[in-house]
Amino acid sequence: MKKIFAFLSLLVVASMLLTACGGTTSSAFKVGQVTDLGGIDDKSFNASAWLGVENAQKELGVTGKYLESQGQSDYAKNIQQFLDEDTNLIVTVGFLLGVDTAKAALANPETKFAIVDYAYPDCWPGAAVGKDCGSDKEIANVLGLTFQTDQAAFLAGYLAAGMTKTGKVATYGGLNIPTVTIFMKGFEAGVKYYNQQKGTNVEVLGWNTAAADGVFAGNFESTDDGRSLAESFVQEGADIILPVAGPVGLGSAAVCKETGNCLVIGVDADWYETAAEYKDVVLTSVLKKINVAVYDAVKRAKDGTFKGGVATYTIKDGGVDIAPYHDFDSKVSAELKAEVEAAKKALIDGSLTVDGVLAK
Amino acid sequence: MPVLELKGITKAFPGVLANDHISLTLEDGEILALLGENGAGKTTLMNILYGLYKPDEGEILVRGKNADIHEPNDAIRCGIGMVHQHFMLIPVMTVTENVMLGIEPVKNGLFLDREKVARRIREISEQYGLEVDPNAYVKDLPVGTQQRVEIIKVLYRQADILILDEPTAVLTPQEVEGLFKILHTLVQKGKSIIFITHKLKEVMAIANRITVLRGGRSVGTVLPAEMNPEKLASLMVGRQVSLVVEKAEAKPQGMTLEVKDLFVRDDHGNLVVNNITFEVHAGEVLGIAGVQGNGQTELVYSLTGLLPSLSGTIHVAGKPIQNTSPRHILEQGVAHVPEDRQKHGLVLTFPIHDNMVLCTYYLAPFARGVVLQEQEILATSEKLAKQYDVRTPSVFVNAGTLSGGNQQKIIIAREFSRPIKLLIASQPTRGLDVGSIEYIHNRIIEKRDEGTAVLLISSELDEILALSDRIAVMYKGQFVDIVPAASVTKEYLGLLMAGIKPENAPAAPSGQRTIEVDL
Amino acid sequence: MTEKPIQPKKEEKAPASGQIRQALLVPALAVLTGLIIGAIIIIITNEKAATAYGNFFGDPLAALFASWEAVATAYGSLLVGSFGDPGKIINGLGILFSTGDSSKFIRALYPLSESLVTATPYIFAGLSVALGFRAGLFNVGAEGQLFIGTLASAFVGYSLVGLPWFIHLPLAILAGALGGALWGAIPGYLKAKTGAHEVVNTIMMNWIAFRLSDWLLNGPMKAPGFRPITPQIETSAELPRFFADPLRINWGFILALLAAYGVYWLLFKTTIGFEIRSVGLNPDAARYSGMSIVRNTVLVMALSGALSGLAGTAHVLGVDRWVGQGFSAGYGFDAIALALLGNSHPLGVVLAALLFGTLRSGATRMQSMAGIPIDIISIIQGLVIIFVAAPAIIRWLYRLRNIKSDTTVMVRGWGK
Repeated sequence: MKKIFAFLSLLVVASMLLTACGGTTSSAFKVGQVTDLGGIDDKSFNASAWLGVENAQKELGVTGKYLESQGQSDYAKNIQQFLDEDTNLIVTVGFLLGVDTAKAALANPETKFAIVDYAYPDCWPGAAVGKDCGSDKEIANVLGLTFQTDQAAFLAGYLAAGMTKTGKVATYGGLNIPTVTIFMKGFEAGVKYYNQQKGTNVEVLGWNTAAADGVFAGNFESTDDGRSLAESFVQEGADIILPVAGPVGLGSAAVCKETGNCLVIGVDADWYETAAEYKDVVLTSVLKKINVAVYDAVKRAKDGTFKGGVATYTIKDGGVDIAPYHDFDSKVSAELKAEVEAAKKALIDGSLTVDGVLAK
Repeated sequence: MPVLELKGITKAFPGVLANDHISLTLEDGEILALLGENGAGKTTLMNILYGLYKPDEGEILVRGKNADIHEPNDAIRCGIGMVHQHFMLIPVMTVTENVMLGIEPVKNGLFLDREKVARRIREISEQYGLEVDPNAYVKDLPVGTQQRVEIIKVLYRQADILILDEPTAVLTPQEVEGLFKILHTLVQKGKSIIFITHKLKEVMAIANRITVLRGGRSVGTVLPAEMNPEKLASLMVGRQVSLVVEKAEAKPQGMTLEVKDLFVRDDHGNLVVNNITFEVHAGEVLGIAGVQGNGQTELVYSLTGLLPSLSGTIHVAGKPIQNTSPRHILEQGVAHVPEDRQKHGLVLTFPIHDNMVLCTYYLAPFARGVVLQEQEILATSEKLAKQYDVRTPSVFVNAGTLSGGNQQKIIIAREFSRPIKLLIASQPTRGLDVGSIEYIHNRIIEKRDEGTAVLLISSELDEILALSDRIAVMYKGQFVDIVPAASVTKEYLGLLMAGIKPENAPAAPSGQRTIEVDL
Repeated sequence: MTEKPIQPKKEEKAPASGQIRQALLVPALAVLTGLIIGAIIIIITNEKAATAYGNFFGDPLAALFASWEAVATAYGSLLVGSFGDPGKIINGLGILFSTGDSSKFIRALYPLSESLVTATPYIFAGLSVALGFRAGLFNVGAEGQLFIGTLASAFVGYSLVGLPWFIHLPLAILAGALGGALWGAIPGYLKAKTGAHEVVNTIMMNWIAFRLSDWLLNGPMKAPGFRPITPQIETSAELPRFFADPLRINWGFILALLAAYGVYWLLFKTTIGFEIRSVGLNPDAARYSGMSIVRNTVLVMALSGALSGLAGTAHVLGVDRWVGQGFSAGYGFDAIALALLGNSHPLGVVLAALLFGTLRSGATRMQSMAGIPIDIISIIQGLVIIFVAAPAIIRWLYRLRNIKSDTTVMVRGWGK
């Protein structure tokens, strides 16, 4: 027994020495990504952001790493780990990291930060800075990456209105938060625009911008919730569903695939590729190109053009879009395709706006 | 040539020399009794023979050849079969399935061949007069029959040396008779048997030769013809043992326990105590005799608060206690020596000192508020262990590691040392050795003479006769009769136990008697 | 049947050192074996090592060196991540002695602080499950009780304004304990009164707690703004931290140690613990001797729930200071493993919690420096539990003498 312990202690000491001495002090530009609870393989935000880092590694010659958060207290700890490693740019994903990112950024002005789906100032009247919210003004070394996903969702809504056979389409969210409801709002607007153009009366289930309320799963995890939501929407007569709830939506896709009664519209990434098992029920996807935004942030940080503030990605710069129709290419009429394309152009040149349609 | 010979077997456990150079021989076609108190090393020796333990020294010869026994399969190959005290049967399986477990024959390369096994069981059963139905489920069989299934298992594996470990401990007197008949048939047909026991009368009745173990050593091999129970007992215990309980005439005083019109249902809803009325006076022993399973257990449970009663009243020293909590009843001065000491009486994984205060831990001086007073507990436990002759290296030892006799002494010590008015002792000496039985009997009489009311429940008629001042006989949930012990015969009680109440009881010799205890 | 060896006394009294070693041997070897198998997995999944093994017969030394390097990098960074960089600590000490400036030294202790921060909820939750085990109850609901405790203490923490800390902090802690106790007592009551098995009921209660917290965070307890999180708790309800940011070690750790001592005292020094242990080891004997099974079941489940509640409370008041979705990294579930590893003894639980805490905490650095996914720690933890639960494997691996130990953990089976 003694021998085993002696051997073990030797091993421990040796390994400590090895790492202590062999600390790599390469001068490469270092990028670190801190995920939220979804983990790096969430096929959503975190995965998409990491794709951006990976692309930057390939094309810009930076070194990238990620740290997964398993609980709330990991956010600050993971950021701290990257700070300890003198990371040049720290990318944090999601609103849950909002306060911790701001705190770290203010305490380490030399380090650059980019935060996905969040922006500063984020305080509301009466909120305590550094506790309730991150900062009451812009932070010079933090770039917020936000997306006009309503523009892309608008196109998806228009397409869905054109494709529905029952005259009803549906959407639901994970939580009632702006980054989610912006999809639903755009979707509703797209359907409304179609009705205005065609004089039809396609209904949207699951969201009402005027009431600012709709149907929510309450989480971003449970595929079972996705199943039951899809089933009830189908029962109410909807045949196209836009789930804005991460992996929850896969449950809805599964129902559509099994019953053949509905189609889904993917979100964030092109589900035709990322959720290929359901590709025959994926009409299109509302793309939120987090990877593009993250890549941009890395590029700016590296070449010195990084500036704090907010970078909003729109349909104009390609940061949001809808995915190709893939298998549905032959089923979408040329006329409808052209109309979607026209709407996209109008959104780009500003002659058409989501709010404008909703206001009518 | 002997079929089996053990030479100089030695086995030490930490702190215990369980077997110290034990030698014995088993001749062809004989019944050798291995006699010894609990803890004498009988079971260790047999476990070595069966390959469950490895001896530190010594050798085993089977039919003159050195047998290499490392595990039970080796023993089985040598023709040695063991019937354990606690049966190794699966209740929800049939006899056939139990017998074939471990050596399942297969037909057509895939299916279990139950028929073949069943056929063989019938053959064995007929050959040795075992009367076992191969298709019966074990759970439906009485204990005696289950034991015969164990014997069939051994015979099915073609054993010709059978070891029976305390086979009578779980049997009724009638079943013991039946077992002895079977053992005789077995040896007549060429089997040899080692019969492990601590009961003197059984040894005298069945053994061809007797090897006596004491304290891990063999103290000699004797022939029953040269022996009587007293001689055997002193050989086994190492000192003179009194096999009778000396007691003076009881001096009953006021009523301590009064039970009126009691009805109790068991867990399955059967009415098992059916209108019972009796009382026990201070300073007397009321014995409840009866064949096991006639409601004695449930009667005791309802008296001690472990089972609710349906109707009727129970008073202890004038206070009603029916359907109150066990703690309330304890606090009225009721002591309970439970029938199943391992289930109810002890927490086996607790050290002795905790078991000594199992009912009083919350009272001064063992607790102050909620804080246990360890010093008090230890001091009292050590005192009680000494006073009640609990044989243990220390009171820190877990109760589960002690012999049955010493476990029972812990319970006796705990219950008797409290201030009590009523003692309910249920099967107080079941499975114990001579020395412990003698000791516990004397203590019970001592309690009686101190003025405690004693309710004794025992399925051993001799124990009832030896201790009781009055005897109630219970049959199918009712008391057939309550008779004074001094004027009753065993035969009359036997009739009562069978539920028969003769109109004219045969006259019994009057005057004080001592009755020999069945050991 | 006295031929059995005399058993050594269990841990209730100060045992001889040999017995302590005996008690620690299997868990220690289980941890060692877990680490060794973890190392093998690291080697298998390491690209460099895999390539080197592809050419094993050409250059066996390179393969071995690559394996060594992979494991040393991983475990080295795990150790540094758990306990700190020895170089930085020594350097910090030097500065401390030469200039009296302790900041560098304290900063170098950050990894150790994080390990203790992670160990804190583990200690509480492990105690919770261990206490249940002692009474023969399997509390699988620690996670749900933790959720409720967290939310209750956070609510008291942010909603009461203007109280002095010596009222507000105890109130918040009490709220957390009561919340957890309620969540534990419900399945305890159901078990005692109806016989419904606590495993089933506590799992149900977990789900209710998870969904309830989703709802509360999106509704009644939601802070202003759009995020589904609670407001920050008032400073008066915070468990004070010992050092400045980023060190998060706080009074919660001390509370956890006190709780461990409290559970030890309760179990082994009081009549309440005597009853709990009796009920756990032999309910029939407990009933015979006048103890109430019903009362003990409800009491233990409530206490167990309170401890789980405190796991979350200490975390929210000491570390996070707000509550968002997914605030627990599964402490309540890991707690079952902790209780097993610690043999349901408070001291064992503390040691096991420190081990898990350091592993979990060090894993962050390992993930970053060696690129080993944090999941390897879960694998190692899982292996350790398998080996502890099936000590025969360990005894066989290390050729230990087969000493039958009478188990203290005895969860009663299904049925009543």
